[in-house]
Amino acid sequence: MSEQTGPEQSSPELTSPEQTSPEQTSPGDGGPKGIFSKDLLDACISCGFCLPACPTYAMTGQEQSSPRGRITLMRLLETGDLAPDDATLAEESSLCLGCRACETVCPAGVQYGHLLEEWRDEQWSGLKRPWIVRPLLLIANRKWVLRTLGLVRRSARRRSGAADQPTLMLGCFERGLFPSVSRGIAALDPDLAVDPDQGCCGALHAHNGELEQGRDLARKLGERLPGTIVTTSGGCAAHLADVIGRERVVEASEWLLKQNLDVSERPLRVGLQDSCHLRNGLGVWKEPRELLGRTATYVELPSAGSCCGAAGTYALVRKKESKAILAKKIAEIEAADLDLVIAVNPGCLRQLQTGLRKSQSRTKAVHIVDYLRGHKA
Amino acid sequence: MTKIPPAVIADLRALLGERVLTETGALAAYGRDATPLFRHAPDVVVQPLTTEEVAGVMRIATRHRVPVTTRGAGTNLCAATVPLSGGIVLSTTRMTALTEVSRDEMLAVCQPGVTAGALNRAAAAVGLVYVPDPGSKEASTVGGNVATCAGGLRGLKYGVTRQYVLGLEAVLPDGEVIRTGGRLVKDVAGYDLTRLLVGSEGTLAVITEITMALVPNPAAARYGVAYFESMADASEAVRDIVASGPAPATLEFMDAVCIAAVEDFAHLGLRLDAGALLLFGDDGEPDAVDRSVARMAEVCGKRATHIELAESVAAAEDLLAARRCNLPALARSGSMTILEDVTVPRPKLAEMVAFVAATADKHGVRIGTFGHAGDGNLHPTAVVDGDDQAATEAAMAAFDEIFHHAVDLGGTITGEHGVGAAKLPYLEHRLGPEQMALLRRIKGAFDPLGLLNPGKLGS
Repeated sequence: MSEQTGPEQSSPELTSPEQTSPEQTSPGDGGPKGIFSKDLLDACISCGFCLPACPTYAMTGQEQSSPRGRITLMRLLETGDLAPDDATLAEESSLCLGCRACETVCPAGVQYGHLLEEWRDEQWSGLKRPWIVRPLLLIANRKWVLRTLGLVRRSARRRSGAADQPTLMLGCFERGLFPSVSRGIAALDPDLAVDPDQGCCGALHAHNGELEQGRDLARKLGERLPGTIVTTSGGCAAHLADVIGRERVVEASEWLLKQNLDVSERPLRVGLQDSCHLRNGLGVWKEPRELLGRTATYVELPSAGSCCGAAGTYALVRKKESKAILAKKIAEIEAADLDLVIAVNPGCLRQLQTGLRKSQSRTKAVHIVDYLRGHKA
Repeated sequence: MTKIPPAVIADLRALLGERVLTETGALAAYGRDATPLFRHAPDVVVQPLTTEEVAGVMRIATRHRVPVTTRGAGTNLCAATVPLSGGIVLSTTRMTALTEVSRDEMLAVCQPGVTAGALNRAAAAVGLVYVPDPGSKEASTVGGNVATCAGGLRGLKYGVTRQYVLGLEAVLPDGEVIRTGGRLVKDVAGYDLTRLLVGSEGTLAVITEITMALVPNPAAARYGVAYFESMADASEAVRDIVASGPAPATLEFMDAVCIAAVEDFAHLGLRLDAGALLLFGDDGEPDAVDRSVARMAEVCGKRATHIELAESVAAAEDLLAARRCNLPALARSGSMTILEDVTVPRPKLAEMVAFVAATADKHGVRIGTFGHAGDGNLHPTAVVDGDDQAATEAAMAAFDEIFHHAVDLGGTITGEHGVGAAKLPYLEHRLGPEQMALLRRIKGAFDPLGLLNPGKLGS
C-alpha cells in the first residue's frame, strides 16, 4: 500500500519511537508538491477538536471525512505519499461541505477553508471538476450574461449614490433565482448605489477549483465598486472580504441593523438558518437574530448554526448527502412550528424552499431582506 | 496489495457490509492519532454498531490471527491507537447509543463511541455531571477515556476516569463477552477486572458498554489567579494550599513561556512579568466555595506578587480560557507540537519544572510547561520545526531525560494521557522488570495470541 509509512512490523515488540517515525521510511518521494501553502498545512496539530463540529464526520463517523482526516490526506497528497488519482482524495474533496464549522472550534487556528480551496484547485482542475458545476462557473464569469439576467429577472436597477455611500453587490445567482432580494434592500435603503455591470465576486470559482480566477474576480469587483460593498449573500461576503479586506465588506443584516429600520411587530414565529460562511467565515450571526427578534417571536432552531446542505454547489454535486442533511433540518423546522424560516444567503434559501415545499410544510422560507421589506412600517 | 488474507476482508464484509473500509486513502487517514511522529496504516477499518458485531469481528480476527487496534476519536497523545502492526482498526465512532441516564442511581450506561461532551450534556439534563474533564471532551469518546483512564482539570478533588467507571461490558479476543462490575457502588466480589480494563488501552479486550457514575451538579464555582516571581514560589503556594484544607477542584499552573505564548495569542491581560501563575478555583455550595477561594487567595498571598479574583462568570471564563488555550497558543509558534505528560509528587513540582527548563536549554529546544499543580501533573510541551530532523531528535532526547527524571523523583511517565507506543520504552523504568513480567502474563491470560493492540501495554 502506497500510504504505508511506518516500517513493517513483524513483531509487536517495539522499543523506541524513532522506529515508527514515518519520515525516514516514506515510500513516496516525500518532497513538497507546492499544492498547499506550507504554513496553512503546518498549522494543524491533529488534536481532533474539529471532529464534533464536522457535519460529514457526523454522517459517516469516518476519520477521512473529518477536517483532521482530510488534512492528513492533503499532507499525503503534498508529499506524494498518496497518488493524485486516489479514490478517497476525490471522494473527500467533494464530500466536504466547505461549511468551515471546524474553523470555529480549532484551537490552533487552522484556516481550513483556504486549504479546501487549494485542494480543489488541484483536485478539480479542468475535466476533473464535477460536470454539473462547469456551466455555472462559465455563466458567472460573463458580465453580459449577468446583466441580461438582471434585466430579465428585474433585480435592482442602476442608481448612483452619494460619494461616501456604499454600493450594493448583486449576487450572480441571486439575480436569477431571487431578484426581489436586491430590489428589497434597495428599497429599504434608498441611498445604496447600484451598478448592474459589476460582474461576479468569484466565490463560486474559488470554492470549485478555480482559486486564482475566483480571487481575480473578487479583486476586479473591488476595483469596480469603490468603498464599502453591501452584500446579500453570506458566501459572497466571506469570499470578497477574504480577498479585498473585511473592512470593505458589510453583509445585509449588519448593514440594516445599523440603519435603525423602523419595523413593525408581527405575531409570527420566526426561525433562522445561518449562512455557514457568514457565521464561520465572517463571525456574523448575532445581527440577523437581533433584527428578527425586534419584529417577531424569534425561535432558535437547535441546529441553526450548522449547514443546511446547500453549501454552494453541494446540493448539485452531492445530492444524496445534501438531502440527508436537509431532511434533519426540515424535521427540526416542523417541530418548531414556525411561520417563517429566514435565510441570509440565496443558496440556503433555495435549499430550504425546496425541502419545505416537498414536505408540504406550512412554514415558508424567506430571505431576511424580503422579510424586513415586508415588515417595514 | 494487502498484508492480511483477502478472506479476512470477505468475512468482515459478510458481517458488516459497507462498514468495512479498504481504500488506500481512508486507511492512511487511520494511520495516525493526535500523537506526532507515529504513523502506520491499518489494512482494513471496520465500524461495528453492536456488541455482537464486535464479537463477530474478534472471532474473524482470531480465526485468521489478525491484529486488532480499537480506536475511538483518536485524540490521544501517546500513539495508543496507531496500529503499529497493521491489521484491523476497530472504530467505535458509530457505537453512539446512550442507553440510560438514571437520576435515581446517579449513573449512565452508554456505548463506547459516545463523546464525553455528549455524556456530560445528557447528565446535565437531569441535574448531574460526568466529572472527568479532559481538554478533548467534546471530541474524545467515553470508550477512549476509559481505555486510557483520562484525567483533566478537576483531578485533585475528583480524580480521573477510573473513579467513575462502575461496570463494563467487553469482548475478549475469541469473541466471548464479559461483564465486569455493574451498577453497584459496593461490590467486592472477585478480582477488580473493571479497574484492570480501565487504562488497558485496548490491549486486553474491546470495551463495548460502559456504566459510569455521575455526581450532582455543584451549585457554584469560583476562580482566581495568583502571579509569582518563580515557579518555586508557586509550588510552595500549592503545597500550602493543599495542606491548609480540603482539596480544591482546580489548581493549575503555567510557566513564563506559557504565559507569554497565551497572552500573545489570546490577549487576556495576563501579567507578562511573572515567572509563573496559579489558577485556583473550587466548586460546591456557594458559601463553601467562597470560603475555599478566600482561603486559597490568603495562602497564595504570602508569596504571590499579585492576585486577582474573578468577580463575574465572564472573568472566570477568561481565566479558564487562559489555561485551556495553552496548547494552541504554544502550537502556533512551530509546525510540530509534542505535548507530554509526567507526574511527580507535589513537593517536587518546582524541582521538576526547573529540570524541564534546564533540559530544554541544554538541548536547545523550546519547551513550555503547564499543568495540574494540585496533582503534580505537568505537561511539558515542545514546539519544534517538524521538517528539522535534528530539532525533533533534540526534543526526543530532552523528553528522554525528562521521563527518567520524573520517575527518579518518585513520579511517573504519564498522569492522564496513557502509555501507548510513545511511552512504552519508559514503562519498565517506572514499573520494574518484575511488574513488567506480570503485566505480560496478564496480557497473555486475556489475549494469548497477542492480537489486541500489539506494540502497546503488555507487549
